[in-house]
Amino acid sequence: MWFSRLLQRLFPPAPTPAALYLYLALAVVGSIVIIVALHRLLGLRGRRWLIAFVTFIAGLFFGLEYFYPVHGDPGKNFLSDWIEPVSVMLTVVGAFTVGLGIYSLLQVHGRNLARRRPGWHNSLAFFLATFAMLVFGLWEHYLHLPQPPPEVVPWPKGIYEILFNGLFAPLQAATFSLLAFYIASAAYRAFRVRTGEAALMMAAAFIVMIGQVPVGAWLTSFIPADSPAAFFRLEMLGEWVLRWLNTPAQRGIIFGIAVGALAMSLRIWLSLERGTFFSEQS
Amino acid sequence: MSAPQPTTLSDRIQQIPRHYVYLLLAGVVVWQLLFPIRLPITPSVPTRGVYDAVAAVPDDKLIIITTDWDASTQAETGPQTQAVIHACFQNHKKFVIMNLQPPMGVKLAQDLAQEAAQEYGAVYGVDYANWGYKYGYENVLMAMAKNIPNAIGDDFYGKPVGELPLMQGVQDIHDIGLVVIVTGLSAMTEMWVGLIQGPYNTPLAAAYTAVMAPIYYPYLDSNQLKGMLVGAKGAAELEAMVDRPGKAVAIMNVQSWAHVLIIALIIVGNLGYLFARGRGGGRQP
Amino acid sequence: MNPDLYILWAAAIATLGVYTILYRENPISRLFEHIFVGLSAGYLIVATWTLNLEGKWWNPMIQDKKWYWIFAPIVGALFYFIYSRRLGWLARLIMGLFFGTAAGTFFRQFFPIYSPQIYACFKPLDYQAGMGLQGVIFELVLHNWIFVIILLTVMSYFFFSIPHEGRFGRNLGRSAMLGRWFLMIAFGAMFGNTVMARISLFIGRMQFLLKDWLGSLLPWFAGRGI
Repeated sequence: MWFSRLLQRLFPPAPTPAALYLYLALAVVGSIVIIVALHRLLGLRGRRWLIAFVTFIAGLFFGLEYFYPVHGDPGKNFLSDWIEPVSVMLTVVGAFTVGLGIYSLLQVHGRNLARRRPGWHNSLAFFLATFAMLVFGLWEHYLHLPQPPPEVVPWPKGIYEILFNGLFAPLQAATFSLLAFYIASAAYRAFRVRTGEAALMMAAAFIVMIGQVPVGAWLTSFIPADSPAAFFRLEMLGEWVLRWLNTPAQRGIIFGIAVGALAMSLRIWLSLERGTFFSEQS
Repeated sequence: MSAPQPTTLSDRIQQIPRHYVYLLLAGVVVWQLLFPIRLPITPSVPTRGVYDAVAAVPDDKLIIITTDWDASTQAETGPQTQAVIHACFQNHKKFVIMNLQPPMGVKLAQDLAQEAAQEYGAVYGVDYANWGYKYGYENVLMAMAKNIPNAIGDDFYGKPVGELPLMQGVQDIHDIGLVVIVTGLSAMTEMWVGLIQGPYNTPLAAAYTAVMAPIYYPYLDSNQLKGMLVGAKGAAELEAMVDRPGKAVAIMNVQSWAHVLIIALIIVGNLGYLFARGRGGGRQP
Repeated sequence: MNPDLYILWAAAIATLGVYTILYRENPISRLFEHIFVGLSAGYLIVATWTLNLEGKWWNPMIQDKKWYWIFAPIVGALFYFIYSRRLGWLARLIMGLFFGTAAGTFFRQFFPIYSPQIYACFKPLDYQAGMGLQGVIFELVLHNWIFVIILLTVMSYFFFSIPHEGRFGRNLGRSAMLGRWFLMIAFGAMFGNTVMARISLFIGRMQFLLKDWLGSLLPWFAGRGI
């Protein structure tokens, strides 16, 4: 394609390491110049127009590639060959956003630590944990250990395993396992059958809860599996509720969400949306 | 201001202190873990669908197991992943692990795969591999559909995936025979269905946490999913099918009595409410 | 170094430390919460670099000398202008790119996701007409009627822009009320599954504490088949 040949002419790989660093420096300087120029030359309307234009082109590219007629085997159109390189570029650009959340965390905990606010030792623990995982995670990666790893491992790998399997994973698992207690307490305190709808909900919940576990199958195991009454075996009843009562209701919800998501996507693509992010005030 | 003390029987029934509820739950779980009452587990139709989908993959195609889960759902998705891996090894199917979010999943899944590989004498890079965590959601899938080595880059250990022996001849999505989504996150299924299963007819199966599973029954009905594992129950059923009873089977034994407890607590709470309503009162705050 | 014993004890102490919150809020659980957040932040950076940026950006740029990859961090750095009031519009520029991409990607996915769903709604409802066709048996047709009725009534519940007045509106209102009842059944099923999921998480942790941790101290626990 003429466009790919043009890009290959404009952006060939650097011939030598020195040329590489020169090109990198020039690219950085050139980009800064362009960004400063955009900032100075574009007024409020110009910026809004540029943002809307970029949003539109990004959506148009991916949408058009899907809808534009294809030819040949495998079916392709003039945009198809660009999907992979553009997608890879976007994944790399997006990966640089990792710092956004990290920066917020560092800012909040850094302030706690610097001003010795109550609980500052927790912020210190946060920093120590972050630093430890960063150091030993990278160290473990660059050890390039053989696969499978030996039983006795170098101590940086050992520390990394302690941080990951000894602290990170168990802490997350334990934190979320607290939900079991909360749901038991909430179900006991708040699930009150005040209306017919609540009774229906409770009946469905009981059937599904008992039908999904072995004790449900055991309770009605006296009903032969091949008899007409097998429908009333609790595991069959539970599966029936999920398959024939739950499924159409969920599909109705899915259709509602689909229409809403389509409308929202169209509004965002055409920059019709207003709100905290989409307007200038922030 | 503290809550008023319960005075009548119906009030006391409705206001059992939460710590007692916690102790009851913990007691039932510990009791059943230490002294289990083992009941049989019969595979359901959705679980059979997953096993049949794995068995039906042509020998020259790869299976992708996407482990989009982390330690927060490990009790369900860990055994699910392990059971699927056993199914792949037993059926002599080559598979790769990958993950779009969160990053922790690939390491946890790699530990499970390594453990299973020792049992079957499988070799990393030849019989299975780990593509690692790939940031980018839909962009990764769109790139993978056209060119997998470019889209994935390096594997979990930093080696270019194109250099792995099991990746010989694997270029794009047409070389993938099945995708098994193991996840505790919503929206992953829609991505795979919309960008891979729908346009390219790549078979798709899934393993969800029990919370999510009811939402995805419509995808089973429309045959967009070949099969589905529902939480620890699905994992236990697949463990039974591959003849490797493990953590999920143990969980289901305990689950029975925990559910009985929850139902009993709900009934007790409602009995208290009914008695109070009969007296002309209601539930005290 | 064999880290297994340290891993076991660190995991047990961490788990029990988190569970202290069940009694009441206390400094121990708060400390472990902060450690968890720190480890999570550190691991995110490690995984992003080792599994994404190193292979797809750094190596092509430095080893293959594809210098144009420098534009990726420059464009990615525009996100960080969100913290600047004056230059915040640059962050909205790059976010617009990703929002547009997401919108375009949704348009691509819409038909592959939803057209099979719509197609699957058209189920055989006439037993006489379907008699003899494979799979069309009386029970299936009965179930199909149930399916379609529930689907239509649930969808009618979401027609909020049509008032429930007049002859059509009142009938729609009755249909919507029926849809709400069926939605309650679906929510009850979801609640049942939610309870199962949450309890499973706790059972998983107790399996670790009893079998792996206590089992390493007291063989009786290890032999219980947990």
